[in-house]
Amino acid sequence: MKQGLPFILSLIAFTSVCDTINQLFLKSAINSLHSPKGNIRAVLNFILKLIMVPRVWVSFLFSIISLCIWLFVLSQVDLSFAFSADSMHYIFIALTSRFILKEKVSLKRWVGIILIVAGIMMVSLS
Amino acid sequence: MFKKRLTLKILFFLISTDFLETFTHLCFKKSALIENEVVITKVSDAVSFLMVVFSSPFLWVGLLSVLATFIIWSSLLSKIDLSVAVPICSFSYILIPLASIFFLHEKVSLFRWSGVLFILLGVVFVSLSASEKERSPE
Repeated sequence: MKQGLPFILSLIAFTSVCDTINQLFLKSAINSLHSPKGNIRAVLNFILKLIMVPRVWVSFLFSIISLCIWLFVLSQVDLSFAFSADSMHYIFIALTSRFILKEKVSLKRWVGIILIVAGIMMVSLS
Repeated sequence: MFKKRLTLKILFFLISTDFLETFTHLCFKKSALIENEVVITKVSDAVSFLMVVFSSPFLWVGLLSVLATFIIWSSLLSKIDLSVAVPICSFSYILIPLASIFFLHEKVSLFRWSGVLFILLGVVFVSLSASEKERSPE
């Protein structure tokens, strides 16, 4: 490993935060439109309408930032490590839902999050 | 409210997004494999790194695959619940280490595999708790 592990982990955390913001904006843009009926044509039409929404561009911006950092991370560490560590976005989503959106996070979800944290620690230590 | 049941066709598309995602990250990793050691200390280093990566065809194939995944995924979500879709799609947590072994010749230790297993279990627990929330009448 060329760079320090804490540095790489914090970069992965940063891409996870960007992905979370990206998803929030995308979700809010999708919610502002009617959802498409089943067929492919309707879906393509829906996507065309979607890219007209300004919030989608904010979402794109964050995904581009996230992609650039992700590519740097991949140039430094193994893919099997980086992808597993990227699962920390589940933790960010739960924490932001709990403390910013004041949602209730069930016991089962906390158990899941603790398992993910344990998994990331094991993957990082190996 | 439960949406339509999980049919064989939907299952096929869900699993295909797992494979597409694995393919995407393989392509990204291939594009980021640069012979010279990457050391970024100033902005121009970062720019030249990105120039090299973005000139790799692997990156663009990867981005196409992201687009395909996005289209399949967004049309699937109108047909089934997220709590069903997410556990099936988390197979990529197993597929990616496997692909890393076969195509990138990375070494994955038993300890790392057990870490992957923990993450997978965690993801399943998180999505199970989502389905509970949908069921409860508000």
